[in-house]
Amino acid sequence: MFDTVETFYRPSSVREAVRLLQNGKSRARVVAGGTDLVVEGDRSIRFLIDITHAGLSYIRREGKACVVGATTTMAALETSPAIRALAGGMLARAAATCGSVQIRNMATLGGNLANGSPAADTATPLLALDAEVVLADARGRRKIPLTEFYSGQRKTRALLIEVAIPAQPRGGRWSFQKLGRTEGDISLVNAAAGLQLDSKGRVKWVRVALGAVAPTPMRAVNAEKLLVGRKLDENALAEVGEEVAREARPISDVRASAEYRRATIRVLVRRALEECAAGTGCSL
Amino acid sequence: MKTMEVRLKVNGEAKQWTIAPGDLLLDVLRREGYFGVKRGCESGECGACTVLVDGQPINSCLMFAAKAEGAELLTIEGVAQGDTLSALQEAFLDHGAVQCGFCTPAMILNAKALLDRKPHPSEEEVREALAGTYCRCTGYSKPVEAVLAAARGAAR
Repeated sequence: MFDTVETFYRPSSVREAVRLLQNGKSRARVVAGGTDLVVEGDRSIRFLIDITHAGLSYIRREGKACVVGATTTMAALETSPAIRALAGGMLARAAATCGSVQIRNMATLGGNLANGSPAADTATPLLALDAEVVLADARGRRKIPLTEFYSGQRKTRALLIEVAIPAQPRGGRWSFQKLGRTEGDISLVNAAAGLQLDSKGRVKWVRVALGAVAPTPMRAVNAEKLLVGRKLDENALAEVGEEVAREARPISDVRASAEYRRATIRVLVRRALEECAAGTGCSL
Repeated sequence: MKTMEVRLKVNGEAKQWTIAPGDLLLDVLRREGYFGVKRGCESGECGACTVLVDGQPINSCLMFAAKAEGAELLTIEGVAQGDTLSALQEAFLDHGAVQCGFCTPAMILNAKALLDRKPHPSEEEVREALAGTYCRCTGYSKPVEAVLAAARGAAR
């Protein structure tokens, strides 16, 4: 148990949650599913703020965007018709690999991002989808790209309340690739790609995102740049492989060595782009 | 130590617990005598502590007890009706889907949640539902057979 916890709050609104988070300062922690926080076992926590009653469990359309509340569970994502229809079901598939049934009934999308694991399975598809996140603090709400969240905004005391996925390019094709010891295990490496070809079969628009090969999930922007305007032939795929291996900054840990991660990310990105090009797309 | 009250239902009975704000559900359930809820890895890997919260299987080792306010919990103790085992439990017996028995409550609760949602699952779906419960005797085939048999209504 967490002996140091003095109060367990269950705010019913974002405003109340933000106020509690601000008042609690560094001794307050936000909890939703708890699947990361409990395992982490920080014994300095004095105030827990459970945001699962703050009205943040929803998946809905807003104009052409799809917005997902921060406390939406992985189970809700993987079974949602809207999420399964989005980008070939890439995000639904990623959510379905986030641990066991029990974990997916607890773990939330906001938690997967806010925890900041470089291996977060939903982060890679969301980066490929140009997702934005909505943060709330005492000053109000702001929407920022997920890339900015990972490049520093995550460390602020703001509360992540929503993920917004903009409309995707017409005819976009998608792929999510994950290498783990088992289907539901944490990713050793993962990758997501989005691809739009022009009428001549050249790359018009492309996204390549990498997971578990850098301190945070990342876009492989150099690899994307070298693909635009080209056909996805063997040369292009080989060059992309070289480029993602250069862009990646993997570490060695208990699960895999940096060398192994650098070698396998090339393979996963190739598979992802080949799957996109073949139009077999991402399916559950 | 500060305490708080939690009102909930466990196996159909209304309960009011006095808990510490940082208590985990696993600890409280065992303190309250629900020893079918097993303490395994305590990190959400093994699934032995599985209970159903509003019909959904979760790892009670990762859930703060305070979150159970207003919830309906089902532990293995609530699956039988008095002395009468459920068809799923009978199927586990008939198929010898128990070895040391440590993971059996979690296997049965996960299977029950699946069958409640999907009465005729595929073998793949059964395996998926049981994948979050580790059997330390490594007996995985028979629980799958038992769940499929229960789904066919062929417990006996």
